[in-house]
Amino acid sequence: MKEKEDPVLEVKDLRVDFHTYRGEVKALNGVALKLYKREVLSLVGESGCGKSVTALTIINLLPENASVLGGEILFKGINLLKKSKEEMRVLRAEEFASVFQDPMTFLNPVLTMGTQLEEVFMLDAEALKQAVVKQKSLRRDLGYSDFLSLKGEHQSPSTSNVEVSKAEIKKMAKNLCVDILRIVKLPDPERILKQYPFELSGGMRQRCMIAMALARRPSVFIADEITTALDVTIQAQILHLMRELRDTIDASTLMITHDLAVAAEIADKIAVMYGGNVVEVASTREIFRNPLHPYTKMLMRAIPTVTRSVEKLEAIPGTVPDLIDPPPGCRFHPRCPSAMEKCNIETPELKEIVENHEVACYLY
Amino acid sequence: MKLYEYIIRRLILLVFVLFAVSVVIFYLLRGFPTGIAPWAAYIHPRMTAEQIEAVIRAHGFDRPIWEQYFYWLRDVFNGDWGLTGIWAQGRPANEVFFNHFPYTVELSVFGTILTIAIGVPLGIISAIKNNKLPDHVSRVIALAGYSTPAYWFGFILQLVFFYYFSLWGLPHLPSSGAPDFAVAKIIGLPIFDGLLAGNLTYVWDEFLHLILPSFSLSFISLGFLARIVRASMLEVLRQDYITMARSKGLKERVVIYRHALKNALIPAVTLTGIFFAAILGGAMITEYVFSWPGVGQQALRAVFQGDSNFLLVYNLVFATVIVLANLVVDVIYAFLDPRIKY
Amino acid sequence: MQSRSSEVRKGEWEARLADMKYTLYLFRKNPLVMSGTIISLFFITLALLANIIVDPNLAYPEGYSNAIYPFERKYMWSVDNMINWGPGIALYHGPEFFYLGTDGWGRDLLKMVVLAIPIDLYYAVIITIGAAVFGTLLGAIAGYIGGVMDEALLRITDVFFAFPPLVLALVFAAMFGRTLETLVLSLVLVWWPPYVRLIRGQVLSEKEKPYVEALRALGASHSRILFRHVLLNSIYPILVQVTMDFGGVILTFSALMFLGFSPSPALPELGNLASDGYGHVFDAPWVIFFPGLTMLIISLAFNLVGDGLRDILDPRLRR
Repeated sequence: MKEKEDPVLEVKDLRVDFHTYRGEVKALNGVALKLYKREVLSLVGESGCGKSVTALTIINLLPENASVLGGEILFKGINLLKKSKEEMRVLRAEEFASVFQDPMTFLNPVLTMGTQLEEVFMLDAEALKQAVVKQKSLRRDLGYSDFLSLKGEHQSPSTSNVEVSKAEIKKMAKNLCVDILRIVKLPDPERILKQYPFELSGGMRQRCMIAMALARRPSVFIADEITTALDVTIQAQILHLMRELRDTIDASTLMITHDLAVAAEIADKIAVMYGGNVVEVASTREIFRNPLHPYTKMLMRAIPTVTRSVEKLEAIPGTVPDLIDPPPGCRFHPRCPSAMEKCNIETPELKEIVENHEVACYLY
Repeated sequence: MKLYEYIIRRLILLVFVLFAVSVVIFYLLRGFPTGIAPWAAYIHPRMTAEQIEAVIRAHGFDRPIWEQYFYWLRDVFNGDWGLTGIWAQGRPANEVFFNHFPYTVELSVFGTILTIAIGVPLGIISAIKNNKLPDHVSRVIALAGYSTPAYWFGFILQLVFFYYFSLWGLPHLPSSGAPDFAVAKIIGLPIFDGLLAGNLTYVWDEFLHLILPSFSLSFISLGFLARIVRASMLEVLRQDYITMARSKGLKERVVIYRHALKNALIPAVTLTGIFFAAILGGAMITEYVFSWPGVGQQALRAVFQGDSNFLLVYNLVFATVIVLANLVVDVIYAFLDPRIKY
Repeated sequence: MQSRSSEVRKGEWEARLADMKYTLYLFRKNPLVMSGTIISLFFITLALLANIIVDPNLAYPEGYSNAIYPFERKYMWSVDNMINWGPGIALYHGPEFFYLGTDGWGRDLLKMVVLAIPIDLYYAVIITIGAAVFGTLLGAIAGYIGGVMDEALLRITDVFFAFPPLVLALVFAAMFGRTLETLVLSLVLVWWPPYVRLIRGQVLSEKEKPYVEALRALGASHSRILFRHVLLNSIYPILVQVTMDFGGVILTFSALMFLGFSPSPALPELGNLASDGYGHVFDAPWVIFFPGLTMLIISLAFNLVGDGLRDILDPRLRR
């Protein structure tokens, strides 16, 4: 299925703590992830298990009271944790695009959608300049797909000397805005650009956020609970859109969700997280057919199915671990029916048990 | 309700407030049993008892208080605000007031400009570098301004910039007063009229005289503004859309100025109405200290003389200004925040 | 029933205690608030001890009578440095060096400032608390009851807000007479409206909360609900406002004295002491400088505490 090439993004043994009044919250306890090219990896877990923290750590947007205690984040081989704030900012502008959960609070209420979308394009004036030049040679309007293919193309010496006016750059940005809104299936893009976020519906706002992410032609697309704040029909539409887009754009997607159904819809691979660790990674089919980790098994059993009749809803006994004073060793062991002595001492690492199927458990 | 309905409602409220203000002042100054007698402003020690009686009757101070108020109201609607006392040579109250009003306006305007120019950046710095050294320093400066006695700061400025500077042979600023109005009155504000008339020496002279009093006035209120800006910036910087803006890879400066500031200034602007009242009130002592020929200085004398006519004009004009300023601020708020619809 | 309610009450107090401990923790972490508190405590101690350290009779020099307003005075820095404008009423006794110089009557300025501190602090406290209590009670009752009384109170505060603050205080002061008590009354009358607005906002929002309805259903009387529950929950912003107002009140109080409203020209009070130097800023700047500086430091200290408290108690900035 997948060639054993190097992952685009690899997280190794990531540990992150938050300093709060009540103590140190040990949010990430050695997270390990691999994201390959053009793949959709879904990071699944309960609320508070550290999914969003992982994403924020990757793009270096953690709040002030957080510290990264150890580990590596390798993007195309480079360790992101060693990069400066400014270098990370450039990476956020060029390679990592994020879409977040609640489009109401994540969009600036006093700026128009046009302003908020255009500024993303205007981040890379050089690219826009390239686009203007290309458009002149193409003799037709440059669309987003053309813009996409421009990425990575180095400027030929003849084009880098061409004078492009600021007005032309702005116009190119505006045209790209309109085109990209069409790509995310928004009707009447010109009108939307003039409107404020509160004037649009939730689904439309979310599409705009996705457009803002696409505008950067990213290598990695991080979607943090993007469907959670939407009702089910809109959810389906957005997922549909994401599926269409993954063929158009050349990016890898990290899809964070607590909803296994959403993950099943769209992911190639699923990584299950619990209490600050990734406990199991496998392809979507594999993980539903053959869950290995006790937690994953219980998760599968806990999903109510419409087709089979079930007497009792099987909930997982116990509660989520207190991250200020977490259980030693494997953080799931207090709730695990197959817990052993070893589980109380050291946290198990992810090991490949079956081909392309990793588990972090002493059972294997 | 629509915007103009809202404005009309507020204007009606203004009329009510003006009536209430006039009644309060009228009663306090003319009807209140203790304190200065209402005719005190119109007599001098060498008058005989009969002359005093004549003065009292001429001004109607012997009539019952509500009759006095009625006559005063009637006169006001005819444009007659009564005469001031001996301290202002008995000229009509509104004439005395409006002769000096432009100076107070000029002072307040420059004071406000300085306040905004210094206070807003101070607040922004405080918010961006929250709990670090620049924050502490600017907060102490802001609070020091807020805690400074107006009567003291003015004198210190005069001491340093006028007296000591000239002692040390440095070019110095004038200590007090303002040059006489040497140009034609067009707008009424001395500096602007000077500019319009092209009389640059006058403009420069006026400007030099204006620096110290406006700075004194602004120093006291910039602390207030800075802390409001700081508080609302802090609130805004914690919002999700700021995280979103940063995740787009925007430069931090763009995040602050394009995304954060506009949201943060909205509540700051609304509170400006209140602090404008504080500036107007504070101007009185500043004018006294700097002998600035504004209306506050006159009002101070009027209070000590018990001159009710002048004080009625003074308070009514300022009440109007304050209520209108608050109204303007509320309307501006509606324009700034696209979510607000009245 | 008895034991259950006392348990509930204990739980309530435990929660409040934990909350207070957290507040204290934040308090200690903030260097500005701590320095403000230390300086304020210093001045409060000084105020309490002032009349013991310095003999209050020094304020009223020999031959001085309350009725006479001296118009010719002597200003001195030290014995050798005397500026003479004519015969003064008070004569100093014996050679001394004055750390802060003297005022017009030859009184030692340092001692006068020390004597002035308790007077300023005492009256500022009375005014602030008086205004706060008056405004809060009125606003709370009006906000809770609503209706005509609420509207009327709002209109009244609107009128008060239309005056520039100092003017109103001056007019009151001029008309009420020149004793300290009337001065206090004037300032309380000027300072109470903001509290009405403050408490009213709080009460209105608390009133809608479900727990009030629950208390009514349990049969609690209106006054019990208002005072034991609603008011207690709204107390934080009032506390902050009181500490912030304290600085402003003390400034206005002394400003009024400076402008000439003191009951006696010899009263040791910081504004009054400063007014002595009004005509002589350039030759005897210390007369205005030191009392004003003391005023600044006191006001700054209390404002630091108030400002820091505002940040600490802000529910949105707490973790």
